Amino acid sequence: MIATAWRVIGVGFSLLVILTAALLHGVDPQQADFAGSYAGIHTYISFGVRTDDLTVLMLAVVGVVSACVQVYSIGYLEKRVASYTALVTLFTAAMVTVVVSDSLFLLLIGWEVMGACSYLLIGHYWERQDARAGAMKAFLMTRLGDVGFLFGIFVLGVAGDTFRISDLHADQMSSPALTAGTLLLLVGVVGKSAQVPLQTWLPDAMPGPSPVSALIHAATMVAAGVFVIARLFDLFTAADATLTVLAIVACVTMVFAALCAMAAVEVKRVLAWSTVSQLAIMFAGLSLGTRDGRHAALFHLLTHAAFKGLLFLCAGVLLHQVGSAAFVVLRRYTRRGVLRKAMPVTFVTMTIGLGALAGVPGLAGFFSKDSVVEAAWDHARDGSTVGWVVLVSVCLTAVMTAFYCVRLWLWVFFRTPALAGALGAFEADDPMADLEDPDTSKLHDGSWLMLAPLILLAIAAAGLGYADGVHIDWPIALVTTVLALFGALPAYSLWQRGADPRPVLLEREFGVDSAYQRLFVVPVQWFAKLAVGGDRDVIGGYVRAAGKAGTLASEGFRRLQTGNVQTYLTAAVVGVVALAILAGVIGS
Amino acid sequence: MPLILPLLLAVLLFCLGVYGVLARRNAITILMSFELMLNAVNLNLVAFDAWRLDGLATGQTLAVFVITLAAAEIGLGLAIVLLLFRGHGHVDADTARDLREQPELQENEL
Amino acid sequence: MTTALFSIAGAVAVVAAVVVVTTRRIVHAALWLVVALGAVAGCFGALHAEFVALVQILVYVGAIVVLVLFALMLTKAPTNPLPALTTRRSPFAAVVAGVLFLLLGTGVVIAFGNKKIKPVPAGAAADVGTAVFRVWVLPFEVLSVLLLAALIGAIVLSQRSGKLSEPDETVSSSGKGDD
Repeated sequence: MIATAWRVIGVGFSLLVILTAALLHGVDPQQADFAGSYAGIHTYISFGVRTDDLTVLMLAVVGVVSACVQVYSIGYLEKRVASYTALVTLFTAAMVTVVVSDSLFLLLIGWEVMGACSYLLIGHYWERQDARAGAMKAFLMTRLGDVGFLFGIFVLGVAGDTFRISDLHADQMSSPALTAGTLLLLVGVVGKSAQVPLQTWLPDAMPGPSPVSALIHAATMVAAGVFVIARLFDLFTAADATLTVLAIVACVTMVFAALCAMAAVEVKRVLAWSTVSQLAIMFAGLSLGTRDGRHAALFHLLTHAAFKGLLFLCAGVLLHQVGSAAFVVLRRYTRRGVLRKAMPVTFVTMTIGLGALAGVPGLAGFFSKDSVVEAAWDHARDGSTVGWVVLVSVCLTAVMTAFYCVRLWLWVFFRTPALAGALGAFEADDPMADLEDPDTSKLHDGSWLMLAPLILLAIAAAGLGYADGVHIDWPIALVTTVLALFGALPAYSLWQRGADPRPVLLEREFGVDSAYQRLFVVPVQWFAKLAVGGDRDVIGGYVRAAGKAGTLASEGFRRLQTGNVQTYLTAAVVGVVALAILAGVIGS
Repeated sequence: MPLILPLLLAVLLFCLGVYGVLARRNAITILMSFELMLNAVNLNLVAFDAWRLDGLATGQTLAVFVITLAAAEIGLGLAIVLLLFRGHGHVDADTARDLREQPELQENEL
Repeated sequence: MTTALFSIAGAVAVVAAVVVVTTRRIVHAALWLVVALGAVAGCFGALHAEFVALVQILVYVGAIVVLVLFALMLTKAPTNPLPALTTRRSPFAAVVAGVLFLLLGTGVVIAFGNKKIKPVPAGAAADVGTAVFRVWVLPFEVLSVLLLAALIGAIVLSQRSGKLSEPDETVSSSGKGDD
């Protein structure tokens, strides 16, 4: 009953967000303060909201994706529905707060609420150890970034003498303050959007429910980082150093994450790394510092929301029906070619999603990626090093993206003739590889509640590329298509030979996790042990000693109570004598 | 006659009484030691009376009073001793330890 | 003359008191108590407090020691020497008493070391009687009430019935008089 109520509220809220976006579309930018207070003498902190194109765009993205996720979750989730739905709604609301806020502090509130919601939702299956660990990791790493974010807000607000975003102008503040503030904000963005070096939480957040992954990856949370930079774009463009850092982070991240995705052996993990990589492409577009770059990044954000949401929901269907999204498990179904036939809708929509991700011409991802490449190319032609770096990185990433998309698609959905029904390269992952095929008769597509969002998002993933008005720079389109083919062909040939070489370095994701483990976790645990030990053995020692002293003293005093009157009397006389001597000593 | 003579005698008797009270085992000898202490007090009273000669015979009167008190005290004391003897079968002050912590209370406490 | 008399009586009293607190025969202790109390009575006499001396002999020797002896008899006190008439703490008690003696003695010597008692006139019972009934009459009456209370208390304590109804040996509670 409560669950139903929450579902109604959740879906209703998402629809409300969509409606708001629709109503605000085309309306002139407005802003309004509805509360505020003075902090100090002349720093006024207001809680204002604003609407402009960016807000409308983000509202639409958030509303559609969260509506899809809410509807999808009705069919997907069985247990703890009420709390889950409430949290998803809160998550959406927090993202909406971030999107509409005209106050850095209001933005921070939404930002932090999202962090808390992501923690709770990733840890939805808290019975599972990996879910708990992933939730904790996500929370701690984003929190680490949020510290920088908070101080960035302070620096920018104090330097600009206002916390209203629409009043913050780069020419008001000194260059060091601007650079410091934007760099600090960037730390928060890097944490929230899982960029290098704070990237490891996002893949580890995969034990959360798939719809939550879709929400996090498509509309909320990670997109918030892109949104903040787009929102404060004027400040960032004025801070060259920050843009350079952003470009470096983005380029490193996109290649790094794509490499990791190439070696991942679990559908959701591949998708997670691809999200990191695609977000980096958006950041790369923003880091160009040009209007075209920003536009391209936001365009990519829009299309990415569609196809990445779609892909995660598809992965959710696989998880829901098969029980796992690991390649090795899926291969056991698919080595007879069952998966594809049993789940036609999932197959088709996932194909569209992967195609959009890989940049198949005509699908959404193709156009948006091309616009980033185009912006980078324009910028590079102007003689910008950053432009060249971004251009090369995005092209490289396009190759790798095509590779892992094709790899995922082929290995999951197609039997390999060369392997004659064997599991292939993933046998080593599964001790039960020799078992009989699982029962596939009950495998089907899932309810229409789950399929409808898939179809909706698939349409979006296919068609959103045309929303921006079709303009194709033919040479670039040709180049990126060729690059995608360069990525796709090796994947195909490897699959056909039944081989999936995974370099150890990539499989371990460059050892970042274990390095962090050694660098941070182990010392922190060591300090924690020290603190616990100090608490237990030093402070607790005093406490216990106090108790022990009391016990021992009372033991001793108990012994004094012999019941022998003469002993008492002796003590009394001794006391009197001692007092008399004392009095004599003092008196003399 | 030096005043110090009766005073020192009184101190000596008193301390012997203290020793008796603290060291003797038999309750009746403890009472005897009390009598020694009371006598020491009386000796003090009489000695100071003789020294001061206030005309009211204060010291002597008080000494008589103390003697009366001693009589009352010994009556009660011996009654208690007899009670002790009746209850325990002995008058050993060292082994009469009914005032100490009772074992069952100990169990409850720990 | 009085000094010599006092010294002799005092020495006797001290010796007798030492025996009282150290002897291993309880009955002997009671009897030596008589000696000590008598010697103290002699001391009183040497200080010209004849009335007090007489009362001392009457009450102490005549009544109290007799009571003590009765009590000894009633508690079946053995007449042979007892092996352990003192507690294990007796050395410590001796030390405490010794320190107390040193303390009090020092105090007394410092305070009254050079005072003299002038030759006093021979005491008369009449003086004491006059003082008691003229000056000290109220304490005297209070004292009589106290004696009454002690009397009642002794009777109550030595009654056989009551809460202490233990099936013990037949100890007669007679002779529990008073003075």
